[in-house]
Amino acid sequence: MSEHMKSSGSASTLGRDIVNKFPEVQANPLEGNRIELVMPADKIRAIVALLDESVSDFLPESMFAVDLENDQYELIYIFWSHSNKLLCQLRVPIEGEAPEVESVSDIYPGFEWHERETHEMFGIGFSGHPDLRLLLLPEELEGKYPLRKSFQTDRSRLEESGLPQPKPKPPAAERPARPTPSTTPKEGGESPE
Amino acid sequence: MKTDIVDDAIEIWFGPQHVSAHGWATKLTLVGDYIVECDPNAGYFHRSAEKVMEFRNFRQGALIMERLCMLEAFLAEYPYVTAVEKIAGLEVPERAKVMRTIMMEASRIHSLQFWWGQFAAELGLFTMLLWPWVDREFFLDAFEELSGSRHAVSYNTPGGVKYDFNEGVIAKLERAMDRIEDRLPKFKDMLLRGPTFRVRTQGIGQFTAEQGLKWGLSGPNIKACGVPMDLRKDDPDPSLAYDMCDWEVPTVHNEDHPGESDAYDRMVQRFLEVETSLGIIKQLLPQVPDGPIIDPKHRAKANRLPEGEAYGRVEGTRGVTTLWLKTQDKAQTPWRAKIRGPCFSSYYSLKHLVPSSKFADFIVIFGSLDPYPGWWDR
Repeated sequence: MSEHMKSSGSASTLGRDIVNKFPEVQANPLEGNRIELVMPADKIRAIVALLDESVSDFLPESMFAVDLENDQYELIYIFWSHSNKLLCQLRVPIEGEAPEVESVSDIYPGFEWHERETHEMFGIGFSGHPDLRLLLLPEELEGKYPLRKSFQTDRSRLEESGLPQPKPKPPAAERPARPTPSTTPKEGGESPE
Repeated sequence: MKTDIVDDAIEIWFGPQHVSAHGWATKLTLVGDYIVECDPNAGYFHRSAEKVMEFRNFRQGALIMERLCMLEAFLAEYPYVTAVEKIAGLEVPERAKVMRTIMMEASRIHSLQFWWGQFAAELGLFTMLLWPWVDREFFLDAFEELSGSRHAVSYNTPGGVKYDFNEGVIAKLERAMDRIEDRLPKFKDMLLRGPTFRVRTQGIGQFTAEQGLKWGLSGPNIKACGVPMDLRKDDPDPSLAYDMCDWEVPTVHNEDHPGESDAYDRMVQRFLEVETSLGIIKQLLPQVPDGPIIDPKHRAKANRLPEGEAYGRVEGTRGVTTLWLKTQDKAQTPWRAKIRGPCFSSYYSLKHLVPSSKFADFIVIFGSLDPYPGWWDR
């Protein structure tokens, strides 16, 4: 497999190559052969394409968003190269009520579903993405963005979600007394399963 | 859908009621007996594990991870545990490191035994469904002796492990390993030499290592293409004891199609994985050192974590399993936890892998990737 892995192999060299081409990128070395690249959102596509060119066996390991509250988000892309034992983490700060970045799913198809999930969970748009339908959520939660910190998980917004309402409990005095299991006659033909 | 391309195309939902579709549904567009388009659908098991984790403390979070894939429970909970250890600065004792590694490899063998049975049944051989599942019971006996539970073991915890080995655990583990070693040649004869299996699997669902990596595949699916990509060797974890034993990453080199793998190669690969895991356990069992099984400061340190970010990774049975954790200062719960289940990518890759194959081969391709719905739905 080594013939088509043409990169230098070290995280710091990869970081230097990227920073030379894109001076606005900030490279932070992490522990071990790992590097983090912090970049503006409009450069993400160009840099992912450059990563694809320079390391040919990158595995698109993970991609997700982090809600930092007040309409601030971070997108994190994680790549792993087996031949270089190199981990590269991209960090893209974005902001706005419905922020949008360019999709990289045509360069790394493995990110297609990650972007789709990030879109439904955080409301972050990916321009150029082939298919931004809901992936995991039911239709009732479309546009609710449940992984945002502003999404209330208590029942105060249950009505808004469109999910079935729980029946209100009658006061204790009106509830029928629960018969003890030993005295309950079994109804004919019904098995407990 | 592109059904307007050909007039006689039909759409079929494979699942979620189908017996082999245990909780997933894929929309297939067929022309005659051939699949022209495949649209995998996820979400039938979605329980928003990542959101739930934001409301659970750092011990409870590991239990949520474990429930995503009960077959490899020891491995599934590990990324969360190791991410918490990194932020909290916990030191795992030597004894716990070795015990963790042993149980994680036992969990791997158990999960692969489950897969053989299931895969064979999907191909139509129901005898082979029950044979490995009987052997798997012996591992479950060992897990039960160790933790009191067959599946939800909750063994790894931030700082070490919860339960110590005793003579019963070691005896039961050895019995389970003797049993699988005794039966492995029979299974190989049945699955790898049997003409039925060869015809059904050879040349089916073939892809190259480059394609697989782009789709995000890892673990045995990539190793079957001849690439020894394995986090146990590539990114050795200081909290595990893989460096204490001598082993090689198993790979398959098929001379008919070097650098590619088909369903048959992936089946061979998973037999090699079992042999490797057996070798690791055998070398580690006599080496378990004496000492404590958990960092004595785990109570103080894992209750409230400082501000930080950590990335926990493990080579799971199905591939790279990771958890990215972000905490705020003095946090009792994570700010954000992102799970990467290996099968998220394998299920997605059906979209590229299945078109132009026969309808009858769909379940063979699907099964050969060892998918587990809990990993993509979370």
